[in-house]
Amino acid sequence: MAYNVLIVDDSATMRALLRKVLNISGLELGTCFEGANGREALEILEQNWVDLVLSDLHMPEMDGAALVKALRQNQLWQSIPVVLITTEGRREVLEVFFQQGVQGYIRKPFRPEDIKEKLQNILGEAWVPHARDLEGCDF
Amino acid sequence: MLETLKAATFEVLETMFFIFPESLEEITDLFHGPGLRAWVPVEGPKSFRVGLTVPLPLAQEMAANFLGLEKDDVPLDKLDDVLKETANMVAGSFLSQEQVPETFHLKPPQALRLNLDDQDWQENSHHLLLAVEDAGLEVFLEKTK
Repeated sequence: MAYNVLIVDDSATMRALLRKVLNISGLELGTCFEGANGREALEILEQNWVDLVLSDLHMPEMDGAALVKALRQNQLWQSIPVVLITTEGRREVLEVFFQQGVQGYIRKPFRPEDIKEKLQNILGEAWVPHARDLEGCDF
Repeated sequence: MLETLKAATFEVLETMFFIFPESLEEITDLFHGPGLRAWVPVEGPKSFRVGLTVPLPLAQEMAANFLGLEKDDVPLDKLDDVLKETANMVAGSFLSQEQVPETFHLKPPQALRLNLDDQDWQENSHHLLLAVEDAGLEVFLEKTK
C-alpha cells in the first residue's frame, strides 16, 4: 500500500530534504503533505487521511508538543504514528513525548539511512492497516 | 564549551552537508565580500545565542549539498533558510552534548545578510574561526542578557 505522509517543519528547505529522503527511502509513497507548523498540520488533517506524521518540535505559532497533544486527543487521529525529527536531543524533554505515545524520534542532523531505518521499524511493528483505523470512529 | 560547539558544528556540517571544516591557520582573505549570519536565541536562566557566519559562496555550496542541487541552481532566497536550519541543528546538538537543563529553550532562528569586510575576525573564547577550503566559517556562542 502507498503511505500518505505529512511533514511538519517550519523550514521549507528541511521539508524539501525530507521529501527527497522519503522518495529514495524505498517507502511506497502516496501523497506527501507539508505544513509549516502544528496549525497547518491540523488543517491538512481535517481534509486528508494521513498514515504517518513526521514533525519538528520547535516551530512558531503551534509547536510540535501542541500538535502531538491535539493528535492524541482526537479519536480519528490518535492512532496515526508520529515521528519527531528535531534538533532536540535532551532525554528529559523527549521523554514527555514518548509518554504521549510518539512512536519514534530522529535527531537532526540525520543521515537518510536513519530515516529509512526508523520508518521500517515503525511501519513494520506499529502500523495498523488503514481500514482498521477507520473502524469504530464515530464520524 | 567552545570545544563542544566545535564538535556540534563538525557533526552537523559533515552529516548534512558533506562539508569537512578545518581549524583555521590564516584568517586573511577567508572572510570577505557578501556573507550570511544565522543564529538561534537560547532562553532560560541565562540567555545566549548560538550561530554561524559564512561567505555567500559557502552558503550556496551548503544549500546545494543540502538540497541535492547544483550550486548555480540554488535559489538565493533559500540560503537564509538553509543557514537558519544549520544554526538550529548546531544549537540543538550543542545543548544535547553540554547536557543543558530543560529550562533552556531554543527560539526560532534568525538570519542577517552582511558585508564580511566590515567585520573584525578574531578568534576568542566566544568565537571560533574555521576554514572550508578557501572560505572562512565563524561559529559563535554569545551571551545576550
